[in-house]
Amino acid sequence: MIAAPRKLPAPWVLRTFVVLILLLVWEIAGRHGSQLLFSPLSKVLTSGLQIFAEAEVLEALKTTAWILVVGFVLSVAIGLVLGLTVSMSRFTYQTFLPVLLLLYAIPQITVLPLFVLYFGSGPASKVAFGVSHGMFPIAVSVIAGVQGIKPLLVTSAISMGASRWQIFRRITLPYLTPSLFTGMRLASTATLLGVLLAELYVSAGGIGHLTRRFGENFQPDKLYALIAALSLMAILINETMRMLERRYSRWL
Amino acid sequence: MEGEALIKVDDVRHAFLSKTGEEEVLALDGINIDIARGEMVSLIGPSGCGKSTLLNVVGGMIAASQGHVLIGGTPVKGPRPKDVAYIFQESALLPWATILDNIKVSLEFQGVPRASRDKIARISLTAVGLDAFGDSYPHQLSGGMKQRAALARALSLRTDILLMDEPFAALDEQTRMIFSEDLSRLLANEHKTIVLVTHSLAEAVFLSDRIFVFTSRPGRIKAVLNVDEPHPRIPTFMTSSKFNDLRNRLYELLRDEVLAAIGKDRQGLA
Repeated sequence: MIAAPRKLPAPWVLRTFVVLILLLVWEIAGRHGSQLLFSPLSKVLTSGLQIFAEAEVLEALKTTAWILVVGFVLSVAIGLVLGLTVSMSRFTYQTFLPVLLLLYAIPQITVLPLFVLYFGSGPASKVAFGVSHGMFPIAVSVIAGVQGIKPLLVTSAISMGASRWQIFRRITLPYLTPSLFTGMRLASTATLLGVLLAELYVSAGGIGHLTRRFGENFQPDKLYALIAALSLMAILINETMRMLERRYSRWL
Repeated sequence: MEGEALIKVDDVRHAFLSKTGEEEVLALDGINIDIARGEMVSLIGPSGCGKSTLLNVVGGMIAASQGHVLIGGTPVKGPRPKDVAYIFQESALLPWATILDNIKVSLEFQGVPRASRDKIARISLTAVGLDAFGDSYPHQLSGGMKQRAALARALSLRTDILLMDEPFAALDEQTRMIFSEDLSRLLANEHKTIVLVTHSLAEAVFLSDRIFVFTSRPGRIKAVLNVDEPHPRIPTFMTSSKFNDLRNRLYELLRDEVLAAIGKDRQGLA
């Protein structure tokens, strides 16, 4: 006889438990380690969180946020145009895709000095570095999306007299929408990474710059609070994108 | 046959390059067919005999290497959406759009003004008995209903000619039978000119006025069978001796060609 399956607790119960244990370990380790290198959870929550009342930190958050928005919008626009150009025909696909993938494969951080050279150390180079991270996931997702279109749909549309524009508007565009949103979700976090890296190594403003300063000044409680804020930002963006993605791929 | 043919296939020959791109494969040779307005014609033959290719030449989707096709007296030089509607093997419905929207998009492709699209779409959905499913998505429908929706779309285009490329291929036997009966009834009212590519002997006999039997590649017309039976065809026709005789003759004509086609494949394997 087969034994009746034992009833397991819901996944979130165990998940919460694991997180609580980790927080506890953090607290204990923080209290026993060096206060210069490490900060217990309780201290992060009390003194660390106070940084969000400081004008400088709020300013940095604002700077990073708008650079992120500009970078993301540009990533989507450029990535979409790139992806559609590559997908235009078999010829463009075979010609440009390897080039695109090659550029994507370059460890981008090594190119950062070039960006500073071209765009200076102000917001322009941060936006550009964010875009260089964000546009590739968009382009690659768009290309994959267009490749997946059933040829029969296009044949059928041509037989009914559809123009090239109508095929794009009524078939290509709706078909690649779910892939575009997947690309946008990946691109949003990639853009954030690019912007933060540029701030961390180059500029004198934004959250990336602050994280470096808090680190160098041995203020781990503030650093942790900032990291928590950044994580929250990334999670919010990611989840918003995931919601949009689901909303627009219902037919899949 | 009285008067000018609506579709005239004039000495069509078609060759294409093999997949390796080295040798030329002759798919169709010396095809002459005249199809009268309102006639229902089947093309039947072994796999690879070029019958689908011929259908696409008639529809203007493929340009023949030689010869030409006339529709209503004018040569076919590309898709003719005002004259010709297609039904494909599997549903070519857009998965992200409702059935109603699918038909409306097709009407947009065809150039029908926006204001009249909704009405035309609903009329054709009612004609195939899918009026309650206009707001459903293709994936919510069974295979038979999807092909019915494809039929509604083709009807909504209001063309004189309907080209069907094995429209029952993806359906199960019982659905096919019902669909054939419905099709016969519907098309008797619509007076459309129909060219049907099929593998099924029974479907060819049940639906057609004339059946063109193709040889194995290169596809030539081996024989033409007349099915002298008024439309709409009723289920009892399928059990009549006339039906059986025709079906058997068709089988005899096809058997050699199918064996020849299989033989060629075997040689290819050896």
